[in-house]
Amino acid sequence: MKDAPPIIEFVEIHKDYVTEAVVVRALRGVNLTIRRGEFVAIIGQSGSGKSTMMNIIGCLDRPTRGKYILDGIDVGSRSNDARAIVRNHLIGFVFQGFNLLPRTTALENVELPLVYRGVAAAERRKRALASLSAVGLGARLHHTPNQLSGGQQQRVAIARALVTQPPLLLADEPTGNLDTRTSYEVLDLLQRLNREQGITIVLVTHERDIADCAGRVIEMRDGSVRRDIVNERPTDAGRALAELPVQDEHGAAS
Amino acid sequence: MTAILAAIRLALRAIVRSKLRSSLTVLGILIGVAAVVIVVALGTGVQAQVVGQISNLGANVIFIFPQSTQTSGVRKDDVNRLTEADGRALMAEATSIANIAPFSATGAQVIAGDRNAVTQVMGVSRSYFPVRGFSVDKGQMFTESEELLKAKVVIVGETVREKLFGTGDPIGQYVRIGRYPYRVVGLLAKKGQSPFGEDQDDRVLMPIGSFRARVVPSPPGRVQQLIASATDERTVDRAVAQIDAILRQRHGIAPDQDPDFGIRTQAEFRKSSEEIVGTLTALLSSIAAVSLLVGGIGVMNIMLVSVTERTREIGIRMAIGASAADIMTQFLVEAIVLSVIGGVFGLGIGAGVIKLIGGALGWSLQLPIPAVVAAMGTSAVIGIVFGFFPARRAALMDPIVALRQE
Repeated sequence: MKDAPPIIEFVEIHKDYVTEAVVVRALRGVNLTIRRGEFVAIIGQSGSGKSTMMNIIGCLDRPTRGKYILDGIDVGSRSNDARAIVRNHLIGFVFQGFNLLPRTTALENVELPLVYRGVAAAERRKRALASLSAVGLGARLHHTPNQLSGGQQQRVAIARALVTQPPLLLADEPTGNLDTRTSYEVLDLLQRLNREQGITIVLVTHERDIADCAGRVIEMRDGSVRRDIVNERPTDAGRALAELPVQDEHGAAS
Repeated sequence: MTAILAAIRLALRAIVRSKLRSSLTVLGILIGVAAVVIVVALGTGVQAQVVGQISNLGANVIFIFPQSTQTSGVRKDDVNRLTEADGRALMAEATSIANIAPFSATGAQVIAGDRNAVTQVMGVSRSYFPVRGFSVDKGQMFTESEELLKAKVVIVGETVREKLFGTGDPIGQYVRIGRYPYRVVGLLAKKGQSPFGEDQDDRVLMPIGSFRARVVPSPPGRVQQLIASATDERTVDRAVAQIDAILRQRHGIAPDQDPDFGIRTQAEFRKSSEEIVGTLTALLSSIAAVSLLVGGIGVMNIMLVSVTERTREIGIRMAIGASAADIMTQFLVEAIVLSVIGGVFGLGIGAGVIKLIGGALGWSLQLPIPAVVAAMGTSAVIGIVFGFFPARRAALMDPIVALRQE
């Protein structure tokens, strides 16, 4: 993996937020390289700058200073429209709150990124179906988000992130709203995607257990990288799932 | 093209999702469009009606009537100097006059047996009929000798016949006006209302000589009006100039003096009526247009609410690759679809109301094509204009802020 080409390069990235008279220095000169195929967890307390970093990586925000190169493209200086295209083509987003469109079926939610890419309806449907069955939701295509459990909603969100076959998946606290079992199910899915399809995954979390599933853990504090450790033995989410006490239909431990 | 269709489908879904709110917004546009269409159709209908009535006066008619004059600051209105001789002179000298008729009238009681009616009794010549477009339906016109001999004969209008004879045949019957009996020789063909609102069938016509001799005793040759018709629509103005010149000469009035007669043409009546109707229509249309504007503000209002409500949706769409233009298109199309739905329904309801009013008034009211095009165009433009600001607000959202919105 060390020889794989870099997908994310941060060169002296600074981000300042100016609020009234106060300047908040959210990122203070971050240097970072993430290579294709890595599974990286970014961990830190609230206010450590991890969300800011996530927004910059996801091309939702621009650095105040410094250079951000995504897949060889200097995206920090691009226009809003260009960055919309970058988001659509290079990045899949998974959020803590799932962020599915309400009153819209799972299938339509998954098709959405392809709509903005101008893919024809039939092709859209085909790819959305494939993506949904890849996350194990082939049977719930026409359910709207409020008819799905949290875990299922997050799977729909992952299917939506994957439908454009992006090289990079950004997961912002993807297990924050889920119970332990469902969290491990989602992590198992992410690990398999990383292992089997070589998708680069950057996962932001504040939970050590979750971060331990990643092959590399970057710890943020006060807008700087405090530690950047390779995790030689990441937790296998599938195995952790198997070791959890079995639950019956009503969710009570037996 | 497919992108636009997709945007329209998306807009329709958003509209259907909030049915009540969308219907109320659509109602605003609907009322505006319907109001504009109805007012314009009514205006056009009234216009046609008035023009029709004015043509009813007779073709290329010119009215000549006495007019009071002022001499050295003293107004003289007792002088009525128009005579049959003036008429004859005009007929002989004015090349652009096709026909001319003397005319005098008064309101009088007409009695037949035990019935009576108050009506207009008019003294005319035979030439009056072609000039004013009257014709005799039953019986016959008084003859030239009856005219010369001031015979006691009359021709009655349909309304008078109804009042005096019911459904009976009036020809050969006698009516009394004042102290004298007159024989009914003819019945006028129905003519309907004049542009001045009088019933043109409520009249009794007799030779003007008889009128002067018995109904309103007056000097020989004196007439209340002369009614001429020009040879052609295009010669009306020339005829007016000729009449003015000849009468000035006969009455001894210098070109810089006020004449003791006035001249009005059918075209003038028509023009002034058209102006009045046109002004009214414009006024009412602008009031209707204001309601269309208010409807547009309603669209803007509801789109702003919609954008605010769907901030998170906008954030999600942007995160997964929607450009500002995509978001802008989405909301703009939604506003246009709302407005155009209002426009279509407004047009339908407007057409229905026009049909109802037309049926009630017995007018043939048309849905004016320019108004239809204008109403549809306007509703689309309203969508664009009033949808622009909300759509822009959506498009300029910061995706991070939008996503954070609960």
